[in-house]
Amino acid sequence: MTIVGERFRRTDGEPKARGEAIFGVDYLPQGTIHAVLLRSPVPSGRIVGLDVSAAKAMPGVRAVISAADVPDTRAGWVLREQPLFARDRVRYEGEPVAGIAADTLEQAREARDTIRLEIEETPAVVDLDYALSEDSPVLHPEWESYVPTLGEYPRGRNVAAECISDPEGVEEAFEAAERIIEDEYRVQRQYQAYIEPKGAVAIYQGGRYEVHTAHQFPFNVRDRIAQYLDIRPSQVRVIGHTIGGGFGAKLDASIEPHACALSRAAGGLPVKIVNTRTEDMITCPSREDAITRIRTGLDKDGNMIARELVVIAGNGAYSGEMPWLASIALHCARGVYRAGPTRVKSFLVYTNTAPTGAFRGVNGVYLYHAVERHMDHIASVLGRDRREYRLQHLFEPGEVLLNDQVLDDAGILGEAFDAVEEAAPWEERLAATAGPMKGVAIGAAWWVTNPMPGTATVKLNEDGTIGVITAATDNGSGAVNLGITQIVAEKLGVQPEDVYVTMPDTDAAGFDAGSQGSRTTRIVGKAASIASDEVIGKIKQTASELLEAAPSDIVIADGKVFVAGSPDSGLTLGDVAMAATWSVGPIQGTGSFLTPFPDFNPGCATGLMFPSFPTPTYHVHLAEVEVDPVTGAVKVTRYVVAQEVGKVISPNGVYGQVSGGVTQGIGYALYESLRIGEDGRYQERNLENYRLPLAVDIPRVEFSPLEHPDPDGPFGAKGVGENSVLLGAAVIANAVVDAIGVPIDRLPITPEVVLKAIAAKHSAAVA
Amino acid sequence: MKVRRVTTTEQALEALAEHGSAAQPLAGGTDVMVQLSRNEISPDVLVPINDLAELSTVETNGGVRVGALVTHETLAKGALGSGYRSIAEAAHTVGGWQTQAVGTLGGNICNASPAADTLPPLLVHDAELELRSSGGSRTLGLEEFLVGRRQTRRAPDELLVSVGLTPGAPRSGDVYLKVGRRSAVEVAIVGLAMRLVFDRNEIVSKARIALASVAAVPLRVRAAETLLEGEALDGHLLDEVSAAVLGATSPIDDLRASATYRRLLVPGLVRRAAGVCARRAGVSSPVEEAYQ
Ligand SMILES: Cc1cc2nc3c(=O)[nH]c(=O)nc-3n(C[C@H](O)[C@H](O)[C@H](O)COP(=O)(O)OP(=O)(O)OC[C@H]3O[C@@H](n4cnc5c(N)ncnc54)[C@H](O)[C@@H]3O)c2cc1C
Repeated sequence: MTIVGERFRRTDGEPKARGEAIFGVDYLPQGTIHAVLLRSPVPSGRIVGLDVSAAKAMPGVRAVISAADVPDTRAGWVLREQPLFARDRVRYEGEPVAGIAADTLEQAREARDTIRLEIEETPAVVDLDYALSEDSPVLHPEWESYVPTLGEYPRGRNVAAECISDPEGVEEAFEAAERIIEDEYRVQRQYQAYIEPKGAVAIYQGGRYEVHTAHQFPFNVRDRIAQYLDIRPSQVRVIGHTIGGGFGAKLDASIEPHACALSRAAGGLPVKIVNTRTEDMITCPSREDAITRIRTGLDKDGNMIARELVVIAGNGAYSGEMPWLASIALHCARGVYRAGPTRVKSFLVYTNTAPTGAFRGVNGVYLYHAVERHMDHIASVLGRDRREYRLQHLFEPGEVLLNDQVLDDAGILGEAFDAVEEAAPWEERLAATAGPMKGVAIGAAWWVTNPMPGTATVKLNEDGTIGVITAATDNGSGAVNLGITQIVAEKLGVQPEDVYVTMPDTDAAGFDAGSQGSRTTRIVGKAASIASDEVIGKIKQTASELLEAAPSDIVIADGKVFVAGSPDSGLTLGDVAMAATWSVGPIQGTGSFLTPFPDFNPGCATGLMFPSFPTPTYHVHLAEVEVDPVTGAVKVTRYVVAQEVGKVISPNGVYGQVSGGVTQGIGYALYESLRIGEDGRYQERNLENYRLPLAVDIPRVEFSPLEHPDPDGPFGAKGVGENSVLLGAAVIANAVVDAIGVPIDRLPITPEVVLKAIAAKHSAAVA
Repeated sequence: MKVRRVTTTEQALEALAEHGSAAQPLAGGTDVMVQLSRNEISPDVLVPINDLAELSTVETNGGVRVGALVTHETLAKGALGSGYRSIAEAAHTVGGWQTQAVGTLGGNICNASPAADTLPPLLVHDAELELRSSGGSRTLGLEEFLVGRRQTRRAPDELLVSVGLTPGAPRSGDVYLKVGRRSAVEVAIVGLAMRLVFDRNEIVSKARIALASVAAVPLRVRAAETLLEGEALDGHLLDEVSAAVLGATSPIDDLRASATYRRLLVPGLVRRAAGVCARRAGVSSPVEEAYQ
């Protein structure tokens, strides 16, 4: 192989570096007018008055719409519960109430200021435990009338979804336990903090809507718009643009349906909406806040023989894709360690806050944080070495999981521990961090590669270059511009710069399940590989006639097509393309792919919406930290990753994803939080207050890829993009606890949290 | 809003005289542009002064005189020499490379933020400000110049021209310590500057301590300075100094940190600062290593 596994420049790199790339927020077709949304200023209340007449009379205003002007329907990915504009109640701060389109942004804003919105505030439900209690007001008294889109699932009152697995033997195992260790961890929300705020341009024309948006999942935008506007999905065309980051926040529609409704109300003028950063932050489907309560029973030798995990996670006011993810708790309840019979209860809870959503490593980051913090706690209570204790309980090849999924390849976990050991020998690192205020920790995880379908058409252009038509999206990861590009280039014997991949367009390409869950390189790469095989067959057929040789003797390499053994006497790909075009017709091929869910036991749990983990990958991370005893600041001094990738398609792409995921993990562990105040409002409302780590705060990540090619993946590839975020919080929190000798049970671990913990320890010591 | 182009200090002063408080000097613009976009200020006339070469020089013969337009980048590189490390350290923490490249010392002073990083080190170097109007010049101590959050004694027609610093002394050391939640582009949760001059017997002959982000303006803590002067450094003394600092300051709760955290920080910062000053002055330090 000369292309797969080699380093190339990403095909979108230069235009981005030169400032030529047109990001979604840059897109401005002629005649565009500008719109803003009037959003609820309060987290909870009844709308008792809405008067837009003054706004309609303001200069430049083309349309003002609210719930009264759009179909009385509800939309949602998993549950149809969300109105386009709040009708009688507002359920979170920032919920859209009205839309205003005008010739200029200033005019739209000025008109918005004249709208009279009267809301009778009601107490906001904020606390997760309270929301679950009988005393709490119910956010959606009409919850029973909401229609699920993928079949019914357990929900009710303020429980947006639950997944419960309570197999036999758990209680008995706890009763047999010599001792029981118990922990509770609390985590805040995390904002995806992409550079490009959400924006869209929508044009209503000829009974259809054309939508331009920089989005991770254009087909989902299409479907959501169709739900909100009560039309057929094919009446919506979504065209993707270069994305300034998404990390999961751009998987569901946000302002696109509003732009559509406004364009229609404005007689079909293109309507553009771009969130301000504050709007973007306070309405973003951020990573959920959560409480995890974890208990483990130990036998007299310290072996783990019983486990219980209870998760209460914040759904916000509406569900988005979250109910689908509640069952991930089942798959991560023990991490990658045997722990005996296990009970899992996962509750997704409505509160009067912005709807939460997907963020790289959905649910996993705080589940692994809980499991791995708990593992260190158990090891320290037992006085056991933390690494050795993990190895003793590590999943083995053929491990049968709580849902009866079988992990034939779980032995890779041991290899990952070995790879980290080689880079950073545990005994040596323990000694190196033995002094005060230094700490080290190790942790492990497994994770899914999103299996959902994708498709690609590959065509041989008449000049010998390759076109790939797909709705796959490059969210910045390089999955398209490196991954799919290198796969197709390798298959067809051309250089990556001779492969052109279209931007997503739901009219032009088949369904694609979006850039999520590390799926694009694997799923669409495989579809493109299948399509390439069809193209190869046609090239060989055509060339065999031109070169008078059997198709099986034809070789395609380095842009040439020749008979095996005589590379100098061949044709160019362009020659073959031209010959085919004017004899049998243009050469193209099409492929589709998805991964089936691995077998599981549907009876193992209720609410098992995400039933098993397809194409699992395995991960071991090690972190070292230094704590400043004066300020409490934590510096990550070393970070080591061993990760199963199947096959490295693009070394630059893989390393970029690994260091990016680790960076977001460090951000989650130490810096970032959207704190929800008692009034239900976010306290961090702009990037001046929301602390993202900077390049200077991040060490260079040491990375060992492990390659066990997957027979179904393109060249063996498994998912790489998402999973490096999983263990940052786990290993950094444990390393900090190792450094200061005081447990810390919440994230993020800010300098203030650390210094207070140190101070409390000192005053306890003095007392 | 108009922009008034000027090429000499005299023209700038004329513009200020003409428009009074409706005019706003614009140096690096790293405060002005942010405040304009947030509608916190609404001047009729912007007077860009960033091309005035006369205000961009550093003189280091005897005492030090720093032009108001000298950038943080220049200061961070150590343009003032080894006796003024605290100023270099502070300038090095003002935002990031971008803000340091254009942001000026004069802007940091005249903006008078409670969290302004260069102000504590300027205070410990007894900074004197030269203010000039078309009517003449006057000199004012920095402490006196600072009135409150974003409030100074600058008259609307005055420009800050330069900053004079006390000459360096043998056996002296200075330092600026800044606490934030990340390593750059951070508003100080607490900033502490210290300068200590020692005599031959390692007795503190002169002490200066100033802090940012613990009151409405960066301030010197005279009570703490007095405790140090005439004494040799030791742990007990530093505890008293910390107590004096805490007594003189009034930290608040805000989004960045709680008042409790700010108070918790002070003893450690005082110890660390004293240790660094001693080391830089070449005298022995009583401060344990972890705190350095
Ligand atoms: C991203 C970012 C990060 C920042 N981080 C920090 C930080 O960490 N620490 C910190 O202290 N500051 C920080 N700042 C604030 C700012 O960069 C500094 O205060 C800087 O020193 C201002 O200098 P300037 O030349 O840009 O001032 P300008 O914005 O041009 O002016 C500031 C004020 O001073 C007045 N002024 C300027 N020069 C004169 C003069 N010669 N005579 C009279 N009046 C004058 C102006 O009219 C204005 O009121 C940050 C700003 C940004 C945008």
